[in-house]
Amino acid sequence: MIKYIVVALAIGIIAGYANNNYGPAFPNGWVSDYLFNFSLLLLLFVMGFAFGADEQAAANLRKTGWRIFIVPLSIAVGSIFGGLVGGYILGINLAGSMAVSAGFGWYTLTGPLAGQLFGAEFGALGFATNFLRELFTILAASLLVKAGKYAPIASGGATAMDTTLPVIVRYCGSDSLIIAFLSGFVLSLIAPFIITAIASLPNALSF
Amino acid sequence: MFNPMSMLDLVVVLVAGIALGFIFRNRKRVNLEKVNLLTILVLIFSLGFSIGSDNELLASMPRVGMNALIISLLTIVFSVAFLEIARKAARIK
Repeated sequence: MIKYIVVALAIGIIAGYANNNYGPAFPNGWVSDYLFNFSLLLLLFVMGFAFGADEQAAANLRKTGWRIFIVPLSIAVGSIFGGLVGGYILGINLAGSMAVSAGFGWYTLTGPLAGQLFGAEFGALGFATNFLRELFTILAASLLVKAGKYAPIASGGATAMDTTLPVIVRYCGSDSLIIAFLSGFVLSLIAPFIITAIASLPNALSF
Repeated sequence: MFNPMSMLDLVVVLVAGIALGFIFRNRKRVNLEKVNLLTILVLIFSLGFSIGSDNELLASMPRVGMNALIISLLTIVFSVAFLEIARKAARIK
């Protein structure tokens, strides 16, 4: 399955690049908005259907209960800590590096927001870092799952509710659907607030 | 940029799917695997398309790519580690 995904991704990137830079044959939004949203909604419906029909899945979820929220919270703390370590190793503004990591893979949010708060260089970093996180999750989900049952959900971060969800469900199993979606949903909700909050931290954190 | 309305749409469709799956639980199983893979590929294609048509993203890669790679790998490693520790501590199966 990963072979097909790599091919589909590569063709998509080439097609998007060609359409954008060699005179658009059609508006980009036809694919990146309409086709994207249509396939995402269809997938969510189908995966939801499979989840609802699975008796074991709901029982597992009921046993976990409110503790499910520990999943996105630990992912958020871990991501920001990773940003702190990365910023320290690279010798860049620590607040900027943590803010970029608090995008949790959502590059279309983090790029513009980090650019606004920390300058163009961090905007570019916000774009690239979170894009690579999403890409890595899609490509390495089958390996990540060996590190832990829900490792792809952590890696996917905020994207676990949409772009990386089908790959996560494929490798973590059908019963991971709600945990993955909820984790991605919570992380998407808090990402803009955490990024803004980090930007208002005292300058003590920066070099 | 930040659109809570479309996030709500996703929730509505997901809940509708779960409800229908629950209702039709005991009917004969339809094999949705093929539909699933095709739709995943369409989704990944359109994700690739938005990446390829995003000039700002493409321009940022050669400039900050190495730093971005280091930070993104660290965020992944630590988020996985923190999640696994929290899962063990809270006994989430």
